[in-house]
Amino acid sequence: MTASLLNPRVKKLLLKFILYIVVIDICILILYPYFVMFCTALKSRAEIFAKEGTVFPIKALWQNFVDIWVKAPIGRNMINSLIVAGGSTIIAVVCGIPAAYALSRMKFKGQTAFLGFIIVSQMFAPVVLLIGIYKILAAFGLTNSLFGLICINAAFNQAFTVWLLRGTFMTISAEMEQAATIDGCNRLQAMFRVLLPVAAPGIVTTLIFIFINAWNEYTVAMCIISTDVLKPITVGINIFNGYNMIQWQYLFASSVFATIPVIIMFMCIEKHLVSGLTSGGVKG
Amino acid sequence: MSTKTLEKTSARELDPKKLAARKRAYRKAEPYIWIAPSLILMCLFIIVPIVYVFATAFGKVDRFGRISGFGGFENFANVLDNPEVGRVFLNTIVWTVLVVVISTILGFILALLLNNDFKGRKIARAIVVFPWATTLVVQASVWSFIINKDFGALNTLLKTLGIISTNIDWTPTPEAFFAWEIACGIFVTIPFVCFTVLSGLQSIDSSLYEAATVDGAGYWSKLFKITIPLVKPSLTVSTVLNIIYVFNSFPIVWTMTKGDPAYMTDTLVTYLYKLNFANFKPGEAAAISVIGFVILLACASLYMISTLKKGDE
Repeated sequence: MTASLLNPRVKKLLLKFILYIVVIDICILILYPYFVMFCTALKSRAEIFAKEGTVFPIKALWQNFVDIWVKAPIGRNMINSLIVAGGSTIIAVVCGIPAAYALSRMKFKGQTAFLGFIIVSQMFAPVVLLIGIYKILAAFGLTNSLFGLICINAAFNQAFTVWLLRGTFMTISAEMEQAATIDGCNRLQAMFRVLLPVAAPGIVTTLIFIFINAWNEYTVAMCIISTDVLKPITVGINIFNGYNMIQWQYLFASSVFATIPVIIMFMCIEKHLVSGLTSGGVKG
Repeated sequence: MSTKTLEKTSARELDPKKLAARKRAYRKAEPYIWIAPSLILMCLFIIVPIVYVFATAFGKVDRFGRISGFGGFENFANVLDNPEVGRVFLNTIVWTVLVVVISTILGFILALLLNNDFKGRKIARAIVVFPWATTLVVQASVWSFIINKDFGALNTLLKTLGIISTNIDWTPTPEAFFAWEIACGIFVTIPFVCFTVLSGLQSIDSSLYEAATVDGAGYWSKLFKITIPLVKPSLTVSTVLNIIYVFNSFPIVWTMTKGDPAYMTDTLVTYLYKLNFANFKPGEAAAISVIGFVILLACASLYMISTLKKGDE
């Protein structure tokens, strides 16, 4: 009530000021763990465990960022993550595009059932099915292999892929493709020449999203990969996270490498991703 | 695959009637060919494991996971007999409800804030993405470092600022530790809610607000009469997905406490992981999987039915 006594311009300024304070506080809170991660990665072991702790490192020990590549197969882990994330993305999209195309352009029996199946499949996290996943991978001889991990990631991201792509395709009119069909293209050609170029932004968003999901995946990788040099980075960093002694400075130095590429990619797609997510959801 | 080549080859051998029939058959089968790769991929790596988990849960199973015959509800009875299982269920419910509810409320408020026009909005939005993009292991490791009693960053910060003089034990009890895990879960879930709501907010026609202002509606009545009803579909999507993800979330609890001490901070997923990989009781672990799935299916379908009904009115 007091606010209404103020003159509207002052009130507006005051509200804006409060908004800034709140948003800045929230941003500081969100960035705090990253600040801690980065500062700790630059400290020496002695400084971390010192009785009088420091907020900033006394002297920035950039050597930590070099050491991790020597002390652990972090380089290999990064490459493994790249292979797994890239491979999962390719398989998920190659399988997902035709399915999304059929769902958005054709009418067939079992269409609703297939969509329902996709939603229900989301209810099973890999961790709940670990026992079964391990069995099927063992049957194919794919335990402790990156290809096994790729298959699992591609399969569990299939729902999202189909969902996002279907949403994208449905926002694009089918008329152009029909015109192309009359001009003598078959469906496959029409899809490649007409639909996919128009849908490119949505497809790129989907690609990056799956890539990030697969890059950040931890649980399945932890269970099926036992060799250090085959581990992706999310599991690999735990080499510094021993039961008795945690090498915080190395753990966080390698965490920085595991985190930065993903954050950059995420910032690129942030805007498209959510609109795709909800448009697919609301129209379904 | 292409209809053109089909026509050419068949024209030589078949009369037009048969050709038409063949074409029709292909038209009918075509959608299934298009969805086949996706379906096969999901069947192999999701459906087969599901079937296997159910078979294990209802079978007689040895410690290596070999199934020998039907066991009925034996595994379920065994696992529900464990003294710690009540605690684990309670933890799972507390974990899921608190993380989903609180992060939905906070994420919604944050979205309302970020939907205002102000300088630096783009930067703020980019920063909010951070916890979403970070792998949970890293996030959880950092938080367990922050709250450590002896050398944690939070104690150091508060001491440097002169707010406290001796270290505070942030995790004196397992419950306190679990509360921190929940806080971490909320922290990483907020961005997803926030961005889903933001996309809903941005699709609202601003003329609605202008009309309401002309009619003399205040901030709150606009919020409850226009904003909330119109972002409801977005909220439904994010809530349903969050229930599933949070319920099944493994890395935070695993990284911070591994469910210790003595199952006090376990949720169903960490518990079933331990049953299978540490205690070698795959039958009981599979039983937990099945129970978890049934709970999830019940919650999700209840929620979806209720929101769909409301949507029809």
